Amino acid sequence: MRTDVLHAVRLARLDLTLVARNTTVLFNVLLMPLLMAWLFTQAQGGVSVAGVPGPVYVLTGVPGLMLGFAVFINLVNSYTSRREELVLKRLRGGQPSAAAVLGGSALGALALFLGQVALLGVWIRRSEGVLPSNVPLLVLAAFLGVVLFALFAAAFSAITPNAEMAQITVLPVILIMMVGSPIAFPAGEMPGPLGTISNLLPVTPIVKIMRSAYLGADHFSSGGGALSTLEQWTGALPSLGLLLAWIVAGALLARWLFRWEPRRG
Amino acid sequence: MRTPQPADTADTGAADLEHVIEVGGLRQRYGDFEAVRGVSFTVARGEIFALLGTNGAGKTTTMEVLEGFAPATDGTVRVLGLDPVGQRRALRPRVGIMLQEGGFLGDLTVAETVDLWKGLSEDAGRPVTLSGAELPGRLTLMGWTKGADRRTMGVLELVGLESKARTRVKQLSGGQKRRLDLALAVLSAPEVLFLDEPTTGMDPEARRATWKVIEDLRARGTTVLLTTHYLEEAERLADRLAIMHEGRIHTYGTVGEVVAGSGDLVSFRLSGTTRSYDELPILNGAAPALTYAGGGTEVSYTLTGEGADTRAHAALSPLLAWADGNGETLGQLTVRRGTLEDAFMRVLGETP
Repeated sequence: MRTDVLHAVRLARLDLTLVARNTTVLFNVLLMPLLMAWLFTQAQGGVSVAGVPGPVYVLTGVPGLMLGFAVFINLVNSYTSRREELVLKRLRGGQPSAAAVLGGSALGALALFLGQVALLGVWIRRSEGVLPSNVPLLVLAAFLGVVLFALFAAAFSAITPNAEMAQITVLPVILIMMVGSPIAFPAGEMPGPLGTISNLLPVTPIVKIMRSAYLGADHFSSGGGALSTLEQWTGALPSLGLLLAWIVAGALLARWLFRWEPRRG
Repeated sequence: MRTPQPADTADTGAADLEHVIEVGGLRQRYGDFEAVRGVSFTVARGEIFALLGTNGAGKTTTMEVLEGFAPATDGTVRVLGLDPVGQRRALRPRVGIMLQEGGFLGDLTVAETVDLWKGLSEDAGRPVTLSGAELPGRLTLMGWTKGADRRTMGVLELVGLESKARTRVKQLSGGQKRRLDLALAVLSAPEVLFLDEPTTGMDPEARRATWKVIEDLRARGTTVLLTTHYLEEAERLADRLAIMHEGRIHTYGTVGEVVAGSGDLVSFRLSGTTRSYDELPILNGAAPALTYAGGGTEVSYTLTGEGADTRAHAALSPLLAWADGNGETLGQLTVRRGTLEDAFMRVLGETP
């Protein structure tokens, strides 16, 4: 177990080194979501959403988008290109376990994501004067979100023939995340069944928990009223349940679809 | 001397030695395609065993089952007495693997690649004696480049890549990548080394240097299973070898045994292109093979069977008597022992 953790940490450091050396990845993973966050805040400027200023509402929802870029796209790219270049095969032929190989990349993505969330926190603090209310709940949601999208990435890498195609296979997921999840407006405001679907999307519980934990208010529903720390935890339980259900589904999908090597022939 | 035999189910004759690798009745299937069709062999400790064969013969598939990349469809496989798939964690620190191709992160430098692998490996419990001159870090236009410690440089010196320590892997030639691959495989002083076509893409000098590394490893007691297309490589390195074709082992043994099994070759040229089998003699039970070329007829006999030391001599007397009796001249008469290539081609169902 200790060896697995050591191996995962070494592979996570490797991933961060390689991201830092690749300007395209650096832009896509780090800058693109921040740029989109800025655009969203411009669009929401001067309005109030669910009882909070529009920019604050958007910025506390943007981590949902960052999961798409820093974790999902990044890892689909990484798993796919490493499979095609036989890097995964080489690692699997060495001493690291499968969990350490895949978990190491996920750990690197977690570090990137938490770094982005921290940057976002600084942004919100400086522009809106708001500090996070419940950091442990915030970090738990971030961690589970990374686990979920790392599993999705492993599954999607299997249907991605090469790294160049990764941008296309991830596009539907990113679009659904952008449009269907409560990043810029509450999920329940969507008409009819779309609201129900939006509430069940995998990124929705992550955004709801992170926003509620950040603002110390009820954004699990569309209420927006203040919550105590205990109420934040109890209020988060349904969302955590949904998130865990998605993680189980993601794990099954990844287990079923993931490939360590390119297809033969 | 043992006579090489079809070894699908054969004993290797190494029963008195510890078998580091044991393969029994191995079958490997991918969908409808059976890549390996009942292969059995063993490799003794400290031995170099070569698997020869054409592309698609089943060499790499056999190797990959032994490396634990895939469970065997049928049959038994043991490396150091362990199941490569089920006991992977116990086995991996004791084996080194050189893949047939690829598997590198192009944006890492050579030294970083070795460092990464070192960080992901524990030694096989044997002393690691590799040691070279430490490489200091330095500031470049691309930023700070990490140096390399003595062990990293030692393994790079071993494979002749010390001058490439700071080079990105994507800038290496194919042969240099093979040498880096070998460096990673031997880094933790493994007990068993799997080398899949280790010298493909190398220039002759690098190939000979690699052979030297492999021979030194054998001298230190490392057991090596290698696949190769180069017959010269197998002849130079292998204590024993097996020739695979279409998923089966067709012949195996020491190089001498396999070559002896391929027989002696008698060849000559007759004038005219209207020759037929009927007018030529049978020599030691061997019928002639005829090829019509250049206005003449090339005739060859492959002499096999008992009396490897005397069978060519025994065949020549009746051949010369036939020539004298029929007024024929045996042009370019050649008598030679079979080679590994002859044995290889014979397995493939072709004549050399």
